[in-house]
Amino acid sequence: MKGSLPTTIHPHQANLTEQVLAAAGAIILGKEHALRLALACLLARGHLLIEDLPGVGKTTLAHLLARLLGLQYSRIQFTSDLLPADVIGVSVYERDNERFRFHPGPVFSQLVLADEINRATPKAQSALLEAMEERQVTVDGETRPLPEPFFVIATQNPSYQIGTYPLPESQLDRFLMRIRLGYPPAAQEKILLAGEDRRAMVERQPAILTAADLARLQGLVCEVAATAPIIDYCLAILQFTRRSERFVHGLSPRAGVALLRASKAWALLAGRTYAIPEDVQAVVPACCIHRLVAGDAAGRLDHDEVAALILAAVPVP
Amino acid sequence: MAKPDLIDEPPRRDQTIAITVAVAAAYLPLARFMAWQVSAFLALVLVLRFAAARWPAATPGRLTLLTLTLAGGMNCLIANHTLVGKVGGTALLVTMLALKLLELRTRRDHRVVAIVLGLLIVVQFLFDRGLGLTLYLSAVAVSAVALLVDLNGGLGAAPWRRTLGITLRLALQAAPLTLVLFLLFPRLNAPLWSLGFERDTSTIGMSDHLEPGSISELVVNGELAFRARFTGPAPKPSELYWRGLVFWEVDDRRWFSGIGPRHKADPGLAQATDLIDYEVVLEPSQQRWLFALDLPVEHPTDTKLGAGFVLSANAPITTAKRYRARSALSYQTQAPSESERRYALRLPWNVTARMRSLVAEWSRDGATDWDLVQAGLKFFNREAFSYTLLPPPLGANPWDEFLFETRSGFCEHYAGSFAVLMRLAGVPARVVVGYLGGEPNRIGGYHMIWQSSAHAWVEVAIAGRGWVRVDPTSAVAPGRVDNRGASRLLGASAPLRFQIDTAGTMGQAIRQLRNLADSVDAAWQGWVLDFSSEQQNRLLEGLGLRAYGELALALIMMTSLALVMGLILLALLRQTQPQDPVTRSYALFCRRLARIGLTRAPGEGPADFTRRVAAARPDLAVAVRRILALYLRCRYMAKHTTADGERLAQGVRAFRPKAARQRQQ
Repeated sequence: MKGSLPTTIHPHQANLTEQVLAAAGAIILGKEHALRLALACLLARGHLLIEDLPGVGKTTLAHLLARLLGLQYSRIQFTSDLLPADVIGVSVYERDNERFRFHPGPVFSQLVLADEINRATPKAQSALLEAMEERQVTVDGETRPLPEPFFVIATQNPSYQIGTYPLPESQLDRFLMRIRLGYPPAAQEKILLAGEDRRAMVERQPAILTAADLARLQGLVCEVAATAPIIDYCLAILQFTRRSERFVHGLSPRAGVALLRASKAWALLAGRTYAIPEDVQAVVPACCIHRLVAGDAAGRLDHDEVAALILAAVPVP
Repeated sequence: MAKPDLIDEPPRRDQTIAITVAVAAAYLPLARFMAWQVSAFLALVLVLRFAAARWPAATPGRLTLLTLTLAGGMNCLIANHTLVGKVGGTALLVTMLALKLLELRTRRDHRVVAIVLGLLIVVQFLFDRGLGLTLYLSAVAVSAVALLVDLNGGLGAAPWRRTLGITLRLALQAAPLTLVLFLLFPRLNAPLWSLGFERDTSTIGMSDHLEPGSISELVVNGELAFRARFTGPAPKPSELYWRGLVFWEVDDRRWFSGIGPRHKADPGLAQATDLIDYEVVLEPSQQRWLFALDLPVEHPTDTKLGAGFVLSANAPITTAKRYRARSALSYQTQAPSESERRYALRLPWNVTARMRSLVAEWSRDGATDWDLVQAGLKFFNREAFSYTLLPPPLGANPWDEFLFETRSGFCEHYAGSFAVLMRLAGVPARVVVGYLGGEPNRIGGYHMIWQSSAHAWVEVAIAGRGWVRVDPTSAVAPGRVDNRGASRLLGASAPLRFQIDTAGTMGQAIRQLRNLADSVDAAWQGWVLDFSSEQQNRLLEGLGLRAYGELALALIMMTSLALVMGLILLALLRQTQPQDPVTRSYALFCRRLARIGLTRAPGEGPADFTRRVAAARPDLAVAVRRILALYLRCRYMAKHTTADGERLAQGVRAFRPKAARQRQQ
């Protein structure tokens, strides 16, 4: 390869991400694709929404990612009586100092797990979602920045379950990706049942990335090349969703930015310095479908099916 | 979605002027067939139109338009006494199209005019189908389509080069469809006149009788009568007597066919030697008779050989007719039948005493029939007879006046009076009209026989020799032949052939040019206009579908049309591929794989496709992976070298996968 330009990233970085994925795959079994998407989401500085039934490993996944990436971790269990202060924190009067002191809430963490976000009232939900968007919190007129990096992994029960407040579309748009875990394949589930407790394994798991590694990887995502054909392809997908009668509304420009960024992260995970159409295709189901309001025709389809439908209809330029 | 609808956009002034000019240009060749009133009305409307374009205030109002419409309709009625039929209907079309010009408010109006203009162009082929007109009208049609393109374009004036480009591309796309329709559209076997067209056309060329002046009219006619192509070497010009009609009857001033004797087959002619085969393409004459070289022995089945070896068609010749015939240049017919003899000795009632005494002079001393013929010819040669295209007018008894007073005339004078003299002398005689000679066209390899070669001669029946051709015109002393009469007669408007001195270099060049033009015209005639149901049947025969007739023709036409449209569509789809070399290479790669059954889905990315190909055809895996790597690098990497592009192109060119079945064998 003398004289030609590098086509792959440095082996060290490639190794790092592969190590993360390998370690995660050893604990959460049979979910390689979901794990890869989750990692891509974090590398693209996006927030992740995991939508699935209770007990399939959503919390474990969030906790595990925090351990692997060496992030400070906190968990908020959303309930119907959760107040915004429970998320953000509260100012308490200290008699000794004769002044209010701010007690930061769980949101002041590098990785926040917002468990069962749709069980809380919209008021509590929006407290978190605003923090996600602004990456800062304003309490009592004082703006406090959130730590860097800052990730939210929210989990959500399928909205047909009792006692849920489904997130409005505008809020859903703030998650870079929505993924589903689903039940593990039978073989993996057998190992799961026979093996060690996953929680304990997560607790033992040492960090693989340092803060500096993570920052560098995030920087590399931005440097992944997306040439004109890739931009055109993303654009064609956006245009298609806007033109198609299957959807009430098409994808927003924010969705387009998200799609491109996620594609680049996916390309990086594949060890490339440039995105190819398959990168876009890989992230469309996770990046796009939760932002779309399906019309009648697509309403009954699973979101992978909707994604397949879009990808089959839009020619690769 | 937000594309502006241009239908109701106001048109630009140059579009209005252009469409008006196009209408005028399309009408121009039609003017010679239309009554002057129609042309005058069009001219009036055009003046109004240009005035309205110059001064918008002068645009005629509703009332004026109504008045003009009524006036236009009345005008048509007055000019043609009808609003239907070929001329009447066309006049009405022209008038209404002209009136629409005064109503050009929106782009839609312009479009309507441009489309009706197409009808006006098509209608003209009912009148004339020459190559020149076709080319001219094609140019007008191209302008009309270009106008339509412009009208459908944006608001601004598109560059004319682009508009013309689109028009030509449209024409190119239409060409295969035109060809299919031309070859396969079932031809009407009934001529158009049965639909009420053509009824008003007068006969062209030779007339069915001979009187002083009937041929000299033709001699100054510059039109072509027919073309002839000989299978072998052409005979000498002096042998080219093209037989047309035979006149048996004569009255006080003219020769005509009459009913004539019944035809009797002549078996003796079958032994004739010196046979010659040829093909004739006769220009439409609106008459039944055909021309054959003296003396026809074989003729096509759809023609009839009548008394006096007159060849005729079953129906009047309304479109160019092509036929093959065989003639014997030296022949001996059998003796005339009794009824032929009777016919061939009838005399006009106005035979004068001096005619009788002249003939009586020759028949002394027991002269034979042949001696009498020679005496007649000698008479024309010795006396002061002269040959001229400008004979003095003849009075009540043209035979007598020509023979004894004016003594200057043309072939019809000589043949007519010679035959009268022969009959007076008791020699059976008849007058034959046709053409003499022919101008070889070396470029086309055929002879052109002009209307001006019309000729009349005499046939006499001699005992033991049958009918013998005698050309009394050739007996005139050469010094007394005045060939320049015609060009004097016609002045500047004389046909070219009378004006040019064929001996000079310039004359030769002009002659060559004319030959070239005529051979182009003959090819047009032969390949386009003559393409009839006969040729279509031959085409069907070649395909083995003759038995199915027009149904097969229609089916083939539909299939071919669908096929051609499909091909054009395919070409168009292919054209939408970008011209970037990397994309082109990859498209070629995909096409080659599609050929072996591995088609890339439109939504399938290159890497996925490669994976699928490699899985389906492990033998190709190395090659496709290499091409994939190059393609990804060229297309999706921010910076790549042109060397990669070339390597990709080379790789794809060398990549020629074989179908799976062949591999297994």
